[in-house]
Amino acid sequence: MSSFRTVTMVTAVLLVVFAAVSGNRYYLDIFIFTCFYGTLAVCWNMMAGLTGLMSLGHALFVGLGAYSVAWGVSVHGWSPLVTWPMGMGLAVAAAFVIGMLCFRYGLRGYFFAIATLAFGEVAFFMVSATETLGRSDGMIMPISSTDIPGQLQFFEKWPYALIIMTILIGTIGVGEALMRSRTGYYWRALRDNEQAAEALGVNARAFKLRCFMLSAGISALCGAFYANYVAFVDPRSVLGVELSIQMLVYSIVGGMSLLWGPLVGAAVLVPFSILLRDYSAMPGGDIVVYAVLLAVLALLLPQGIAGWFVSKWRT
Amino acid sequence: MTPLLEVQGLSKSFGGLHALSDVSFDVAAGEIFAVIGPNGAGKTTLFNCLAGAAAPTSGTIRLGGERIDGRAPHEICHRGLARTFQLVKPFRGMTVLENVKVAAFSRHPSAKQATTAAQAVLDRVGMAELAAVDAETLNVAQLRQLEIARALATQPQLLLLDEMLAGLTATESAAMCERIRQLPREGIAVIVVEHSIPVVTSLCSRAVVLCFGKVLRRGATREVIADPRVQEAYLGNAQT
Ligand SMILES: Nc1ncnc2c1ncn2[C@@H]1O[C@H](COP(=O)(O)OP(=O)(O)OP(=O)(O)O)[C@@H](O)[C@H]1O
Ligand SMILES: [Mg+2]
Repeated sequence: MSSFRTVTMVTAVLLVVFAAVSGNRYYLDIFIFTCFYGTLAVCWNMMAGLTGLMSLGHALFVGLGAYSVAWGVSVHGWSPLVTWPMGMGLAVAAAFVIGMLCFRYGLRGYFFAIATLAFGEVAFFMVSATETLGRSDGMIMPISSTDIPGQLQFFEKWPYALIIMTILIGTIGVGEALMRSRTGYYWRALRDNEQAAEALGVNARAFKLRCFMLSAGISALCGAFYANYVAFVDPRSVLGVELSIQMLVYSIVGGMSLLWGPLVGAAVLVPFSILLRDYSAMPGGDIVVYAVLLAVLALLLPQGIAGWFVSKWRT
Repeated sequence: MTPLLEVQGLSKSFGGLHALSDVSFDVAAGEIFAVIGPNGAGKTTLFNCLAGAAAPTSGTIRLGGERIDGRAPHEICHRGLARTFQLVKPFRGMTVLENVKVAAFSRHPSAKQATTAAQAVLDRVGMAELAAVDAETLNVAQLRQLEIARALATQPQLLLLDEMLAGLTATESAAMCERIRQLPREGIAVIVVEHSIPVVTSLCSRAVVLCFGKVLRRGATREVIADPRVQEAYLGNAQT
């Protein structure tokens, strides 16, 4: 499939689903969260599945985006035009520093995962202890009774749906273009065999950093969106390790060898888990059912849903 | 005329183990040069130092007159030195064409040009019909060919081949030798690491013999092979 066709197909599917659910606030909310987690999983997997860099600290970047917005508007009344780029800039800078440290010392595989996890946890505890960021209680952002488009405050949910859809489609578009360029080939080469890649002219550190910074920037963008949509951020929801693990789970279930695989994982699991949570009779029952479903999917489709679909389609 | 590759006093130790000590030799443009020696002599370590995969402990390496010792592998590749791996290292998640494209990108940043260049290399090494095959399904001989194809796609002046014939059938290795023999005509000098003496004598004009990391003998291949010390070091080990 050409990159243009992938983007067109994703856009078409999103528009159809959006049209179908736009009349219902509850379903629209599920749709928005599916796009949110889908984008995060896609950009996480750009590192893990396509470049071989397993990060377990991605919540750090989501948190930087979310807290930039929450802090900026609550304390200074700053517009998203300021806070969104600020959050993304901070995340890209943080990824640069963490990446330089890790790649300088040749951390890969489990070691890279643990190092990123450590950075994420440090941020979690630091924010949980910081007065101006609301400690572990989080920050409630000011809400007015009328829409303020300049602050991305809308009573209706559809403007938020359009924003996150744009972010998702943009991510897929940029990702697809990159995967077909030298950068994407270099990323996959680094994933498959770093030594061979270097011998063939790949500057391993530079291309890993590029991937890390891009992924962090998109994560922060999602985090900024989350803050404006939910109007509340706390360490658990945007900095917790659960969030990083979610990106991993959607990617594994969807398929890590394809750029859009994780989106499929999120599209199946996010609505399922929200519906299960809201409709399960027994407390905790939803988690058991969810865990069983994950185990079954992992056993039946080791290549992920998208991987399975593509292999069927090819033969 | 300065030689293409000039190695002087090269040493490499791993802790207390002297894998290479004071190795010197040079390779002229358009030459096929042999590095021979028993198992564990330091041949692969020498290649790793030349290609930047390992940093030498001391000594200098010059390619086309410029020092490359201590440089990163990707820089050395861009300067025109390519290598294959004794233990093949294909990109398993990619097709044959994609594997070669990765290498071609080092000279052609645009995807279109890289594809064209990679296809041309596959034609040249006779792998064109395998272009769309997943690299993980290739057999030993094909994996070796892929190593060479990728190295050639970086458009090297000097190519290092580490035991490319080991484990190949007689027909396969004859074809591979023929391929290697053509490289100087394409403007590529070659250093081969090879255990088979007949192959070395037929391919290479000059050779260096390593034994426990030291140069045992250096010079015209026939004379080197005839040296009793070389016979002893080499054959003594090969028979075990
Ligand atoms: N990374 C390393 N760390 C420690 N020792 C090493 C390392 N690489 C090689 N050696 C040692 O250096 C010596 C030379 O090894 P090398 O692989 O260069 O030999 P070789 O001539 O290529 O042998 P073979 O014919 O078996 O391929 C060996 O004793 C080996 O154990
Ligand atoms: Mg060796």
